[in-house]
Amino acid sequence: MSENPFEVLKEDMENEEVYLKVNAMHRVKVVATLLGNDKIKSQLIPYFESLLKKEDDEVLFALAEELGNIAQIIPNQSSCLLPLLEQLAGFDETVVREQAVRSITIVCGFLADNEIANTIVPMILRLASNDTNFTCRVSAVSLMCPLYARAGNQKEKIRQKFTELCSEETPMVRRAVATKIGEIAQFMDKIHVIQDLIPVLKQLCQDEQDQVRLLCMESLMNIAKILNSGENKTNILPLIIQSAEDKSWRVRLALSKIFADLAEAVGKEIADSSLIQIFSNLLKDTECDVRVIAVKSLARFIKFVSPEKLNLIVPLLQLLSKDPFSQVKQNACEVIGQIATLLPKEYSQSKLQQYLIDLMADDNQDVRRNAAKSAGQFASAIGPEALNQFVPFLKKSMDDPKWRVRKETMQTIIQLALTVKNPDVFNKQLESVFVMFLKDRAAEVRSMGLSQLPALIATYKQEWAVGNFLSKCVETLSKDVGSLYRINALYAIQQISFSVDGPVAQDRLWPIVQKCLKDPVPNIRFVSIRVAKSLSKKIDNQQTLNQIKQAINELVEDPDRDVKFYAQEALQN
Amino acid sequence: MQNRTANSKQTATGRPQIQPNANAQQTRAPPQMIQNMARVTDPKHVPKEIRDQFLKKIHFCSQPYDFNDDTKNVKEKQERSQYLQELFDLLKEPNFVANLVVPHLDLIVEMIEKNIFRPLPILKKTATNGEIGMEDDDQLIDPAWTHLQPVYEYFLQLIVNEQPDVKSLKIFITHSFIQEFLELFDSEEPREREYLKNILHRLYAKLVPRRKMIRKAINDCFYTLIHETYKFNGAAELLDILASIISGFAVPLREEHVIFFKTVIIPLHKVQTCQFYHEQLLRCSMLFLSKDPTLATFLVEGLLRYWPFANSAKEVMFLNELLEVLEVCEISKLEPLIPKLFKRLIKCIAGPHLQVADRAMCFFENDYFLTILKSYKPFTFPLLVPVIAQIADTHWHKVLQESLNALKTILKEIDYQAFDKALNNKDPKYLYIIQDAKNQKKDRQKIEEKWKNLTKQAIQKNPNFKEPVVPYSDTHIVGEHNGLNNGNITIL
Repeated sequence: MSENPFEVLKEDMENEEVYLKVNAMHRVKVVATLLGNDKIKSQLIPYFESLLKKEDDEVLFALAEELGNIAQIIPNQSSCLLPLLEQLAGFDETVVREQAVRSITIVCGFLADNEIANTIVPMILRLASNDTNFTCRVSAVSLMCPLYARAGNQKEKIRQKFTELCSEETPMVRRAVATKIGEIAQFMDKIHVIQDLIPVLKQLCQDEQDQVRLLCMESLMNIAKILNSGENKTNILPLIIQSAEDKSWRVRLALSKIFADLAEAVGKEIADSSLIQIFSNLLKDTECDVRVIAVKSLARFIKFVSPEKLNLIVPLLQLLSKDPFSQVKQNACEVIGQIATLLPKEYSQSKLQQYLIDLMADDNQDVRRNAAKSAGQFASAIGPEALNQFVPFLKKSMDDPKWRVRKETMQTIIQLALTVKNPDVFNKQLESVFVMFLKDRAAEVRSMGLSQLPALIATYKQEWAVGNFLSKCVETLSKDVGSLYRINALYAIQQISFSVDGPVAQDRLWPIVQKCLKDPVPNIRFVSIRVAKSLSKKIDNQQTLNQIKQAINELVEDPDRDVKFYAQEALQN
Repeated sequence: MQNRTANSKQTATGRPQIQPNANAQQTRAPPQMIQNMARVTDPKHVPKEIRDQFLKKIHFCSQPYDFNDDTKNVKEKQERSQYLQELFDLLKEPNFVANLVVPHLDLIVEMIEKNIFRPLPILKKTATNGEIGMEDDDQLIDPAWTHLQPVYEYFLQLIVNEQPDVKSLKIFITHSFIQEFLELFDSEEPREREYLKNILHRLYAKLVPRRKMIRKAINDCFYTLIHETYKFNGAAELLDILASIISGFAVPLREEHVIFFKTVIIPLHKVQTCQFYHEQLLRCSMLFLSKDPTLATFLVEGLLRYWPFANSAKEVMFLNELLEVLEVCEISKLEPLIPKLFKRLIKCIAGPHLQVADRAMCFFENDYFLTILKSYKPFTFPLLVPVIAQIADTHWHKVLQESLNALKTILKEIDYQAFDKALNNKDPKYLYIIQDAKNQKKDRQKIEEKWKNLTKQAIQKNPNFKEPVVPYSDTHIVGEHNGLNNGNITIL
C-alpha cells in the first residue's frame, strides 16, 4: 500500500508526454512533504539537478515554480534550493528564468538578514557579472529590487553593480534596468536615489534605443513619487521635458499614458507651472496615436492641476474636438464632460458647450455615443438652465440610426432626470425625450428605459407615472404598432403598478390590462396575465379581483399553449 | 555653347558616364553644380562657391519634413528631391567624390542619419484587420517612402563607391549607428528592408574593422526577437546577410561562431513567427553545417526540443529541415537522440494531420535515413513495427495507407526476423502512441491512484497541506479542445 513517493515521481517523469511530466512536476510538493528535510536534500535535489540538462523548458518552468513551493515546506533549510534556482535564473528561456527569480524571492523570505548578505548578495553579484550569458544579468537586475532593502552592509555593492549595468552594451540588460529602476528606488534611501539612480536614469532617458527610453517612463513616475517637490523640479522635470520632445513617438506615447499619474506624483505646484505646458504639446502631437492616449490621460490629468490653470487646456479642446482622427474626438468628449465639473459654469457654457453639441452630430457613431454620454455630465455640471439648450440635440440623438448612440442618450437622459430632481424641468424638457424609449426600434434601448423606470417613478412620483407617462403607454398600446412595443408598454405599466396604491391600480391600470388580455397576439396575452397578476396584489376591491380572476380563467382555454400555461400558473398561486 | 564644351571635356578625361545623366537632368532642371564643377580646371581646389552650394544642399536635405502629409511643404519637398538627385549624380563623378564628398563625409552621414533614423511608423490598414495568418494582398505602404528612397539610394551608392575608404567611413559607423540602423529593419515597408539589407551587407564587406561589432549588434537583435518581442519584420533580411557572412567564415569555426550557432540559430527555431524567416534560417543552418558537420547533432537536438505544438504548417517545415540536417549527421553521434527522434517521427505519422504524416513518411524514402534506422535496429524496430503495422491496416487515408503498407514491406525486407519479433511482442510502451484516448486514460489510472494515496498521506502528515493543482487535466480547456474527453482524437 505505501508507495515510495520518490519512486512514483520518477516513474511518472519517465512519461513520453511533456504535459504528463509537467503534471508530475506540479505534484512534487506531495513528494517533498512525505520525504522530509533530509531526503529532499539527499534525493530530490540531486534528481532535479539531473533534470536540468535534459528536460523541456515546459517541465523546467514547472520545476522553477515548484521549488518555490518546496521552500515553504522546508522554510528553515530552503537555502539548499538556491544553487538549482541560480542555474534556472540563467536559463535561456524567458519564462523559466522569470519564474526562477520569483522562487528565489520566496526562498529569501525565509532567510535571515545575515544569510541574505552572505549568500544571496554574492549570488546576485555573481549573476550580474556573468559576461557570457546576458540572461543571468537580466535575472540579477530583477533580483536586486526585492532584496536591496535586506542587503545590509552590502547595499553599496548592489547599488554599484546596478548602476554599472545601466551602461551595458547589451540592450536586453539596459531594458531590464530601465524597467526596474523605478522599483528599486522604492527601497533605497533618498540620498542614494538622487546620487546614484538619477544620473543613470538621465542616461537611460537618452538611450539610443527608443525601447529603453520608453521603458524609463514608468520608472520616472515611480521615482517622482518618492522625491519632494524641489527635488522633482531639478531632477525629474528636465527628463519629462526632454521625453515630451523625444523624436520617437513611442516614447511620447508612453509618456502621455502616464501623464496623469506623473502629475499626481510631482504635485500640484510643478503640474501647474510646467506640466500643463508640456502636456499641451503632447495633445498637439503630430502622431495621432499619441494624441489619442494624451486626451485619454487628460481626463484624469485635469484633477491634478489647479482649476484656475485649466483655461490653458480649454483652447486645446477646441482643436481636439475637431481632430481628424475620430478616436481623439471620442476621448475629447469625455474630457469636456469632466472639465465642466471643474470650471466655472458660465465659462464652460460659453467656451465648451458648442464643441460638445457639434460632437453630438459627428460622423462617427462612437464619437456621437461618447458625446451623448458626456452631455449628461456637462449639463448636470452647469445646471438646469443648460438643459434647454441640450434637449433638442438629445432628441436628435434619439433619432440616431445607431442604437448604441440611442442607448447612451437614453442613459444620459435618465441620469439627468435623476440628478435634476425638478418636476418642472423634467416635464418640460426631459420627459418628451425619455418616453421615446417606448417606441425605439432596438430592444436594448427599450429595456434600458424600462430598467430605469422604477427610479424615475420614485423621483417624480405617482402623479407623473399615472399622468403623462401612462397616457404615452396607452398611446403605444392602442395604436397598431408591433407587438414588441406593446409588450414593452405593458411591462412599463407593471412597473407603474408597483408604486401606486390600490384604487389607482384598479381604476386607471386594470382597464388597460383588461383590454390587452384579449389581444390577438398570444405573447401579449400572457404578458398581460403577468401584469394582471401583479395588479391583483395591489387591489383590495373584491369585485375587481373577481374580474381579474375571471379574465384569466377564460385564458386557461386559450388555443395558445404558452398562454394556457401562464394562465394556469397565475391561478395556482 | 559652354555647356557643350564642358561636357566634351569630361568625356576627354575619360568620364563619359556623366553625359546621359546630365541630359536626363535637363528635362527636370539644369544640373547646375555639375556644370559648374566641370569648368573647374584644377580638381584639387574646388572653388568656394561650389563648395558652399554643395554644403547648402546637404544642409537643406537634412531638414525634417512631415512626409505623411502631402499637402505640407510641397515646394520644399520638391526642391529636396531635386537636390538629392543632384547629390546622387555627383557620386558618379570621381573628381567630386574625392574633393567634395569625402572631405564632408561627416555632414553627409549626418544628413543620411537625419533622414532615415526615425521612429518607425505603424502602417495603418484602411480595412479591418484580417484574420491572423491570412495572406494580405494589399501591401502596406509608408507614405514617406518616396521621400526616403532617394536617401537610401544615395547611401547605397556612397558605400558602393570606392573612393570613400574604410578609414574615413569607419569613424561614422559606430556602435550606436549600427544599433539604430538595425532597428530600422523592423520596418513594415519591404522595399526599405531591401535597401537596408543591401547597405548593411556592403558595409560589412567594406568595413573589415567593424565586422565584429556589426555581428554583435545583429546578435542582440536576434536575442531580442528570441527572448522578448517574438516579432521582428527584418529577421529574414538579417538572416540573408548572415548567410553570406557565414559563408565567409574560416574553417575550423571560431568558438564565437559556434556559440552564435547554439544561442541564436537554434533558438530562432522556437520563435512563434519562425515561418516568416524559416527559409533563410534553414540556409544559414545548412551553411554552418557545411563548415562544421559536428554541429548537426546540436541542431537535431534543438529541432526536437522546440518541436512545434498545434502548428502543423510549422511542423512540416521542421520535418523538411530535420531530414536535411540528418543527412549531415554522423550516425554514431546520433545515438543519444535516436529515441526522441523516432518517437517524434512516429507521432507525426500517426498524427491527425495528413500533410505532416505525409512529410514524415518521406523520411523512409531517404537512403541515409534508412541507414540510420538500420544502425539502431534494436531500438527502432520495436518502436516502428507495431505502430506502422497497426495504422497500415486502419489509416483513414487511402494513399497514406498504401505508403504505410509499402513501408511495412521495406521494414520486413530490412530484417525479417527483427520485424516478426517486434510485431509479436508489441511493446505497450510504444503502442500508446496509437492508443485511443479512453485506453490512455485507463493506463494512467494506476499512477493517478498512487498520487491520490500519496496526497492523502501528505495531508495526514501536514493538515495544512493544500492539494496540488495540475495544469493539464480532462476538464482543462486544452484537453477538451483536443478531444481528450470524447475520444475522437488521439492525443499525441
